[in-house]
Amino acid sequence: MITGMDRLVAAIKGEKSDRIPVFCNLIDQGPREMGLTPQEYYANGDYVAEAQLRMQARYGYDNVWSLFYVGKEAELLGCKKILYDKHGPPNVEEFVIKTYDDIDRLEVPTDLTQHPAFAEELKCLALLKREAGGKSPICAYISSSMTLPAMLMGMEKWMELLFFGPAEPREALLAKCHDFFVKEVKAYRDGGADVLVYSNPFGSTDTVPMKYFLEHSLPWIEKDIAAVGTAGMVYYCGMSSFNKVIDIVLARTGLGVYYLSPLDDIAEGKRIIAGRGLTCGVINDIRLIDWGRDEIRAEVKRMIEAGMPGGKFLFGTGVMPYDIPEANIRAMLEAAYEFGRYDDDK
Amino acid sequence: MLDKIIKEYNEAIYDTDRDRALMVVHQAVEQGVSPEDVVFKVVLPALDLMVKAISENMDANLAQHFMTAQIADTVTAEMIAKFKKVPAVVGTVVIGTAQGDMHSLGKRIVIGCLKARMIDVTDLGVNVTPEHFVDEAVGRKAQVIGISAMMVHTARGENGSLAVRRLLQERGLEDKIRIIVGGAPFRFDDGLYRTVQADAWASDGVTASKVVADLVKEVRQ
Ligand code: B12
Repeated sequence: MITGMDRLVAAIKGEKSDRIPVFCNLIDQGPREMGLTPQEYYANGDYVAEAQLRMQARYGYDNVWSLFYVGKEAELLGCKKILYDKHGPPNVEEFVIKTYDDIDRLEVPTDLTQHPAFAEELKCLALLKREAGGKSPICAYISSSMTLPAMLMGMEKWMELLFFGPAEPREALLAKCHDFFVKEVKAYRDGGADVLVYSNPFGSTDTVPMKYFLEHSLPWIEKDIAAVGTAGMVYYCGMSSFNKVIDIVLARTGLGVYYLSPLDDIAEGKRIIAGRGLTCGVINDIRLIDWGRDEIRAEVKRMIEAGMPGGKFLFGTGVMPYDIPEANIRAMLEAAYEFGRYDDDK
Repeated sequence: MLDKIIKEYNEAIYDTDRDRALMVVHQAVEQGVSPEDVVFKVVLPALDLMVKAISENMDANLAQHFMTAQIADTVTAEMIAKFKKVPAVVGTVVIGTAQGDMHSLGKRIVIGCLKARMIDVTDLGVNVTPEHFVDEAVGRKAQVIGISAMMVHTARGENGSLAVRRLLQERGLEDKIRIIVGGAPFRFDDGLYRTVQADAWASDGVTASKVVADLVKEVRQ
């Protein structure tokens, strides 16, 4: 039987399997799947893994996730307050960095795997590896050095520090976040993660002007990637668009997988990547809440027709909002399996 | 001379160079340009120019909005302090992020742009209950309630715009107060503001200031 891993590997190599790989990121749906409150659910890594496996078995897409929620990274760096919500993702409620002095005090754990906040993460990874390892790509989410501070001090304060300075605490924080990033990548790889989603809204020209990107974002991206290597790494800007920078990111870092924004033109992205990597076309999943079956099918068809010719293409979602009806998840996936089939003429 | 100042100011804004923008403005005042002219002939037209640029190509980034709001806010506050007489308030707005939502950046940008248009705006903070939105709007005689939400569940949920609408209905305030919403989910779904029963939305702070000014006019008529 062809597995999700087979499909992914084939797509990366530019070969054919039965269909294109389909990634569906059901994260916030976990507590509902297990019939638990978010607090109960996220307290036990086995639940998180179990929910991933169950949902994947039911829907048949190719990947599973070790991500609990993005704010988890802040917990590893001292955040003690998380705001839970039954209908959406947990959020950082209190920022670790309130004054610039807190940056000095910020401690990056020497060994993440020994940190209590990582223990459940490890349990989750172990279960995923045991049940799905080698068959389904196991995904992990990792914030870039430049993005992590947004969760430690809030986007507002971080933009202020980033753009206006002072330089000293800014550089100190970036250096600490880079240190954390490197350790995190290692911990996830050791734990069995195959796909490492390198999340960096600051790598998008929706967020910063091109000039700033070239002078500041890009050097930090190069530094991050040089420190951990490109294996399994995916360029992703938190659903912000980045077609304009693909060429230079590719040239400078060698990154081989690009998880576009729904706001990016897929055909254009693919043209820029030009066979040098895997193009991932990403659906605007916020619209899946209200779209009907026909609209969903038409959109999936449009996307796949734009990206699939010539191979090296993956169909994916963002972090699927909780409110998407189950029937719409199915409609999207069925369309992706159907239109993404490799026939002899495709 | 004003033409040159306008040009230099606009360039500084475009390059998101706060220091240069402030320098241009300070030099203008030193050279005898009135603080009133700085605001009404330089800062505000620059905002309008950006609204136009955005509506034509969407090619403005977050950093630019952030800077524009910061600069416009700072310059306006500085200049108003030097005005000969207190400027007329164009309208009154209360703004906050929806209950359950801690994301404050979008709101802050909107506030900066509103202030530059002489709109009196009160920041209700983050994680604001629907009752608090309405009570504050009534207490401050606001024409507009602004609700910011960065996540789908806070944008669409029972405690956001939908609840504020219900309260306005219950209290018979619908012809006195308008609701405007904004934040990431609205940008990914431009019809969402209707689903959550708001009167309007805006994709960014610069545009928001224009739309809010229009809503104020509507209510005041
Ligand atoms: C940067 C970013 C992050 C950063 C920083 C987040 C932060 N601000 O603290 C990081 C990487 C940490 C992050 C994390 C998460 N994020 Co995020 N993130 C983004 C991204 C790329 C940009 C958001 C942003 O900060 N924009 C900057 C602000 C200024 O823009 P804005 O809020 O839209 O505001 C502008 C306009 O909307 C408007 N506006 C705003 N408010 C108002 C109000 C009124 C009245 C008006 C008129 C206008 C207006 O004017 C503003 C200025 O121009 C978006 C995707 C995107 N491209 O938009 C996702 C996005 C917002 N994130 C999302 C999610 C889900 C998350 C997480 C919850 C993921 C998770 N499962 O854990 C976490 C939460 C982390 C936490 N806080 O605990 C989703 C939300 C949708 C949903 N599914 O609910 C988005 C849309 C991505 C997606 N499509 O999946 N994120």
